[in-house]
Amino acid sequence: MRKHSVKSAAIVVGVLLVAACSTNKTEGGSTAGGSCDTSKGTLTVGVIAPQSGGLSALGLGIKNSAQLAVDEANEKCTVKGYKLAVDTQDDEANPAKGAQAATKLASDTSVVGVIGTLNSSVAQTVQPILFEKKIVQVSPANTNPSLTRGENFATAPARAFANYFRVCTTDDLQGPFAADYLVNDAGKKKIAIITDGKTYGEGLATEFAARVKAKGGEIVAQEKVGEKDTDFAGVISTIKAANPEALYYGGEYPQGGPLSKQLKDAQLNIPLMGGDGIFDGKFIELGGKDGDLATSVGAPTESLPSAKTFVDAYSAKKYSDAYGAYGAFSYDAANAIIASLATTLGDGGEWSEDKRDALIEAVGKYSASGATGDVAFDEFGDSTNKVLTVYQVTAGAWKDAKTGEFAG
Amino acid sequence: MSILLQQLANGVVQGGLIALIALGYTMVYGIIQLINFAHGEIFMVGAYGSLATYTWLLPQGIKDSWVLSLPLMLLGGVVVAVVIALIMERFAYRPLRNAPRLAPLITALGISVALQEAVRTFYPDATSALRFPRVFAEGNLALGPISVPWSGVLIIVVSIVLSVLLQVYINRSRMGRAMRATAQDPDTAKLMGVNPDRVIVLTFVLGAALAGVAGLLYGSYITNVNIDMGFQTGIFAFTAAVLGGVGSIRGAVIGAFIIGLVKTIGGQYMPGGTQYDYVWIFVVLILVLVFRPQGLFGEPERVRA
Amino acid sequence: MNKVSNIVRPFARPLVLVGGVLLIVAALLPWATFVLNEGPYPDKATLQFFDAPFAVTGFRFHLLLLGLLVLIASFAPVPSRARVLRALGWGGLLVSVISGLFITIEGGGLGAITAADGATAFGALVGLVGGAAVILGAIALGVEPPAHWTLKLPTAAAYAVLVVVFVLVLLGVSLVLTAGGQGGAANPYAGPLFLAFLGFAAGAMAALSATGAIRFVSELSEKHRIFSVVVLLLCALLLPFTDAGSEYWMTVAANIGIYAATAIGLNIVVGLAGLLDLGYVAFMGIGALVAANFSGAAAAAFGVHLPFPVAAVIAAVVAGIFGAIVGSPTLRVRGDYLAIVTLAFGEIFTRSAQNNIGGLTNGANAIPGIPALSLFGADFNKSFTLGSIKLPAGVLYYVLIVLLVALVMTVFANLKFSRIGRAWIAIREDEDAARAMGIRTGQAKILAFLVGAMLAGLAGAVFAHKNGTVSYESFKFLESVTLLAAVILGGMGSIPGAVLGASLLFVLPEKLREFSEYRLLIFGLALVLIMRFRPQGLVPDRHRRAELADEDVGGAPVDEVHEVPGAVKEAKA
Repeated sequence: MRKHSVKSAAIVVGVLLVAACSTNKTEGGSTAGGSCDTSKGTLTVGVIAPQSGGLSALGLGIKNSAQLAVDEANEKCTVKGYKLAVDTQDDEANPAKGAQAATKLASDTSVVGVIGTLNSSVAQTVQPILFEKKIVQVSPANTNPSLTRGENFATAPARAFANYFRVCTTDDLQGPFAADYLVNDAGKKKIAIITDGKTYGEGLATEFAARVKAKGGEIVAQEKVGEKDTDFAGVISTIKAANPEALYYGGEYPQGGPLSKQLKDAQLNIPLMGGDGIFDGKFIELGGKDGDLATSVGAPTESLPSAKTFVDAYSAKKYSDAYGAYGAFSYDAANAIIASLATTLGDGGEWSEDKRDALIEAVGKYSASGATGDVAFDEFGDSTNKVLTVYQVTAGAWKDAKTGEFAG
Repeated sequence: MSILLQQLANGVVQGGLIALIALGYTMVYGIIQLINFAHGEIFMVGAYGSLATYTWLLPQGIKDSWVLSLPLMLLGGVVVAVVIALIMERFAYRPLRNAPRLAPLITALGISVALQEAVRTFYPDATSALRFPRVFAEGNLALGPISVPWSGVLIIVVSIVLSVLLQVYINRSRMGRAMRATAQDPDTAKLMGVNPDRVIVLTFVLGAALAGVAGLLYGSYITNVNIDMGFQTGIFAFTAAVLGGVGSIRGAVIGAFIIGLVKTIGGQYMPGGTQYDYVWIFVVLILVLVFRPQGLFGEPERVRA
Repeated sequence: MNKVSNIVRPFARPLVLVGGVLLIVAALLPWATFVLNEGPYPDKATLQFFDAPFAVTGFRFHLLLLGLLVLIASFAPVPSRARVLRALGWGGLLVSVISGLFITIEGGGLGAITAADGATAFGALVGLVGGAAVILGAIALGVEPPAHWTLKLPTAAAYAVLVVVFVLVLLGVSLVLTAGGQGGAANPYAGPLFLAFLGFAAGAMAALSATGAIRFVSELSEKHRIFSVVVLLLCALLLPFTDAGSEYWMTVAANIGIYAATAIGLNIVVGLAGLLDLGYVAFMGIGALVAANFSGAAAAAFGVHLPFPVAAVIAAVVAGIFGAIVGSPTLRVRGDYLAIVTLAFGEIFTRSAQNNIGGLTNGANAIPGIPALSLFGADFNKSFTLGSIKLPAGVLYYVLIVLLVALVMTVFANLKFSRIGRAWIAIREDEDAARAMGIRTGQAKILAFLVGAMLAGLAGAVFAHKNGTVSYESFKFLESVTLLAAVILGGMGSIPGAVLGASLLFVLPEKLREFSEYRLLIFGLALVLIMRFRPQGLVPDRHRRAELADEDVGGAPVDEVHEVPGAVKEAKA
């Protein structure tokens, strides 16, 4: 016992000596905005996304990218007289917790806008709360069409919430675009579908399947895997019996990559296609094989200098987590809010809650070129960027195969 | 017909993996009547241990040859799994030996959550799935219409060999006898000179070692690992142990294969397809428990006067 | 420790006094040597030296208070003095450690709390030494068990005391909720400030408990139970009028209430009948889905919009039926086997809900747009004016849920002390003996599941309207674990325990959102620590308290009875 305490005391003293008198004090202290005038105080950009649990990889990417946009705005003095800050709230991918997070942000008068959410089901509880307080919400990742155009989005679209916008694409564009490519361009008529049963994958697969049938293709098998499944041998054997020519996967890369690998292991050599949820370098790392396809919004990144700028700036910041599937969207969403805020306030304007209506209007009119291409919103709050690109894994990397606009 | 055979083969591979984990559940339960919910997490930690060994400890020359890297990674995974299990036993379970029965169970749930989150927070890039090397022969074993990846074959072989060895060890060795004695009557065993602490530690070590082996086999078969893997597989393994009758080695292994088969066959032939596959597992479990509450191979509960 | 206290004993009193003075000095000293990058550490803790000794606020004020209390307690006649002093010392130590640690981390090294660039700030270290000195001195004085007051009060005086105490509790709750301020970009230190406040509150509470005051009040309220319950209910309804009456806290409090009601239901199954249920949140999900489908939402399966009370009753009944079905294997299955059956049921529920079983759950898209409740023309999600006072939105939900919790508590209390409640407890203690005594154990167990599920279903119906969306994602395994943890943390079988447990498990993550990345890690470790150091929970049930006390004498705990039959028989013989 005695020896023990002597030892631990020695360790403590050692650590103290090492750490003694060091600080990370930066000159200027509170005026971290550099040379900008921040005399009017701090305005907050809220972020609602999962920060813990299984989906945190995507949520942390969203948070960091928003932080990046805010940091850049602070450096450039985009909003005159104010310092901007990010306030991230964890929604745990749980609608009830998302509502709490939204209420918390909504009761903060310095919040100008909110970026989020990741999950469409969480957005459903967040929308009305922010709407009540007229806080603009820009989602980087919700793809469920009903969030903007109401429950009957296909037949009788009606704007659901005036404060809600999104920079990402919706299922009813991406799914059919993929179907067109697979049936027309790639000439695959017999297609199997696997989904992970979550909102994103299900929505995407439903729209995809409808379009395939309309184009004369055939859905030969439709299966669902569990959210946490990793051994797909069973489901692969099931679809193998139907002799599909291609597999459409509605879901995200953590399962999509291994699924592709196991397809190959099971000697079912067909391409796997998915949405922007699998369009990630990690997909290939986890087993995505040459020939696999993915759709993503906007033109290919190589043709967009702004995308490269974002990627470089993000890596320069050395965040501990990758920007992930939705980082670029989050960055664009944050910039849309910040730029609109700057227009709303103008030179020397004072922020108050009365300005929130004007800010929503300004975001509606916002138009710029961002990391994901052109960012602007239509009358429902959806992104007008209907340019989609099909990417194909070629020699171990994503390469664009076809860029176009989904015409309907 | 070929689909049925293929699905049977898939089921057996899954069953083999579940069996290795189920053995840990069943042994711990047999000795101290504790559902060690954290055991699935030991399996997960074992897989990350193997991966860490591969990523940071092995030089490129060894990485290139699976014959060399497999045993080293196995060692790394087993050591990590065993160390974590020992810490868990010593600091979380042992102080609760005489606490109300729910206390260690809640502790186990807590450890399970904490281990998952600890790996997620502290293992580099573990927020999403990580690639795991296939440290075994690529390609498939083809038997007529069936084809099974070699790494799957390895799972079946290893799980059967290890469970037979475990059975022999428990039946024949001195420590094995001590384990059985403690399981049957801890007080009498103590009087006979068995040190219960040693027996319990040994039980945890054996269970964790098997889980570590399972972690490596899983990684090599699926070729990626994620922090959720222990939870789901753990529940299946626990279900297998209950199905077979907790405390019974044979029962756990057979229960595991039943679960693997029910999952694949149910996903193939039952209404609803794969989306309901694991509903069938639980339906089978409930039916078995209702008609044979002690599980397939468990000893019936002694009814007291 | 003994050796140390022997050496210290002659100096015990001076040591305590010096410690107290040091705590006061620490409160007046600067704490951080420079303005941290996130902004100045609050409560004027940066570069202030005796600047405004009468304007010390926040954690420094708490420290000052603790120091003064130490001095008072060492001179005034206080029951169990050493124990009180020790508690106060711990409070000072915790406040100093938490604030100091955070400034060190945020400031990037020990320079932030010692000396850097010509500035000095020794507040944290002085506080640390002061707190440690008080603890050491108190231990050397000899810590005696907490005092027990034998004071008998006339009824009127007892009522007055209870009213005052409960009002203080109300203010205390409000203080805890608002401590540290609402976090956010404008207030980056809300988390550590709240933790420091908790340190202070823990010290103060422990000191109060050492004087015997808490035990006295709890015995008093036990004696005048009905009066206490009424006053407590009124106090709960008054919370919106305190500082904590913001829209945010009302929303959080309403959510807590929903989970507390569910936890009480679970307490019937686990705490009273001793049946472990690992899929309990599914019943809440069933209730929520039923209510959602009758709410007139666009995605609902039935196009009818039933009034809320009717929908809530249907939700409770449907959940109850499922409860009885899930409970039926208990006729044959026991103990841990039952745990896996209930876990299986929970998983089947989420899987089915995700797959839109029978078109009732809308699958992965969830059922959104459930209208907010409205009664007598007042919409529950809007702010509400009572006379001249404008109350924030969410207050009406809060009131509804307080009433719901009160109802559920009444049901629970009545059941617990009824014939069936005693039957449940008997089953928990020894099922075979209970059966031998003529209790129909099967019926009783299914009834436990049925009643518990009904309460959860009722809570679920409120949940559906309050959140506006019902998605399978809200009812996963981790939620069941959280509910179980709430029951265990509070104390199994104890009515206030479940409410307290649910409150802690929901308030703490809200207050500590800064640390949300580590939320689950802390949650897991906390479960382990609670089980290790206080397995009977924070507010143990009286019967259970007796059992746990017996354990040391009787050998094996009562709960283990049916597990190792042979061993226990011997131990009991």
